[in-house]
Amino acid sequence: MNQFANVTQQLLKGFGENSFIFIITLLAALPLGFIVSFGSRSPFAPLKLLTKGLVWIIRGTPLMLQLFVVFYVPPLLSGGAFNFSRINAALIAFIINYAAYFSEIFRGGIEAIPKGQYEAGQVLGLKRSQIFFKIILLQVIKRITAPIGNEIITLVKDTSLASVIAIPEILMNAKDFSMQGLIWPLFYSAIFFLLFCGILTLLFSYVEKRLNYYKG
Amino acid sequence: MSMLNVENIQKSFGKNEILKNISFSLEKGEVLGIIGSSGSGKTTLLRCLNFLETPQKGKIIVNGNELFDGEKQGKYSEAQIRKNRLHFGLVFQQFNLFPQYKVFDNITLAPLLAAKEQLKDNGSYMGVSTYKEAVQIINDYAELLLKRVGLSDKKDSYPCNLSGGQQQRVAIARALSLNPDILCFDEPTSALDPELTGEVLNVIKGLKSSDSTMIVVTHEIGFAHDVADKIIFMNDGVIAEQGTPQEVIDNPQNPRTQAFLSRFKQFGD
Ligand SMILES: Nc1ncnc2c1ncn2[C@@H]1O[C@H](COP(=O)(O)OP(=O)(O)OP(=O)(O)O)[C@@H](O)[C@H]1O
Ligand SMILES: [Mg+2]
Repeated sequence: MNQFANVTQQLLKGFGENSFIFIITLLAALPLGFIVSFGSRSPFAPLKLLTKGLVWIIRGTPLMLQLFVVFYVPPLLSGGAFNFSRINAALIAFIINYAAYFSEIFRGGIEAIPKGQYEAGQVLGLKRSQIFFKIILLQVIKRITAPIGNEIITLVKDTSLASVIAIPEILMNAKDFSMQGLIWPLFYSAIFFLLFCGILTLLFSYVEKRLNYYKG
Repeated sequence: MSMLNVENIQKSFGKNEILKNISFSLEKGEVLGIIGSSGSGKTTLLRCLNFLETPQKGKIIVNGNELFDGEKQGKYSEAQIRKNRLHFGLVFQQFNLFPQYKVFDNITLAPLLAAKEQLKDNGSYMGVSTYKEAVQIINDYAELLLKRVGLSDKKDSYPCNLSGGQQQRVAIARALSLNPDILCFDEPTSALDPELTGEVLNVIKGLKSSDSTMIVVTHEIGFAHDVADKIIFMNDGVIAEQGTPQEVIDNPQNPRTQAFLSRFKQFGD
């Protein structure tokens, strides 16, 4: 029992790191992705190309590699004068990575709205901002709830990748126990993820249901 | 003074000249029917009038006020264009209702936003000075419009639960919500099943009155004949023939008009 309490405490502590990375990434990557989606839709070709190129690189390389790069490359280049703390490096890599994914979902959602919706707003004398916020935005949100939900659930599990730059997150702690001959904490740690993802799944299906009051 | 003067409008997309020197005028209370084959530029003309496209040349004058002059290209601010648009209303072929809003809110959305803006800028909207009074006026007018298009019982429905004909009637009410000087229709029944066109055409006929000025692009030649005071036949970006329905539809002089109309006659009118 004492051992169970001890394991629980260690895993909880680790999961605190996962949750922290999850929340900060979400809070920063959603708005950043929103901004980036405007870049990849820009009528100004150089900006559009640059944004699309960056998104391609981020989405085309492993998140693990990006974690290594953010953590190890700055000190190597600066001769040790400059480096990010482990947690900051993790946050930067996660935020950039997820902003790239979110931006593509936003872009797809915005581009899926028929041109006629904008034009109907225009002929009614609405401002561009009014058209976006009063007409387009909710329709975009409805279209992207499911893919964003998937991405967010993936993020929950991806946070364990932070262990590759030695952040003591839950899986790292569970692995430490297994090296001491204790296997069950590995399975126990899965329960944390299952619960967290389960709650998120319920939340997203609730949002989807709420937005189901209209079709189109 | 005419309600609308369109002078020498010219519009190209790239090298394609779609509208070549279009000129016509319209008096208050008149209905103009525009007919012509596919690709002749009818939609483009309506879009120019609603400032969804910018012509390269020409003038658009409403009630003596010059709204657009191709010579002053690029000098029109976003705010000016928005203001210009309010002189015109447009009913689209595809309705373009806002799916997330109830029928009633589709109609009141734009006037409510306009009221807020005008109260902030000038302290008054249609003679009242508080938002609450403005809302009352706007709601009452929306009720009236819904009655006119025969959809009072659908005010709390969402567009997805309406038939195409009902959706188009809501779109007509919405286009009237800001009291445009000139209401334009772009083939308002083309996206509808044949059995639903009648209800929409009847609503448009019902709108005809001494103070509603309308431009109707349509392939419903019989309807154009009935409702229009004036017909324009467009061909390849020019007005090939214009006159009363009796002149243009019953006795076309231009061989192009004759050829176009004979295609409709083949189907037994
Ligand atoms: N945004 C655009 N860019 C390039 N070409 C365009 C654009 N809009 C219209 N056109 C071209 O202009 C021509 C006239 O189009 P328009 O839609 O005005 O015709 P229309 O008379 O309304 O035809 P329909 O009866 O089929 O609706 C067409 O050849 C079309 O391809
Ligand atoms: Mg057309």
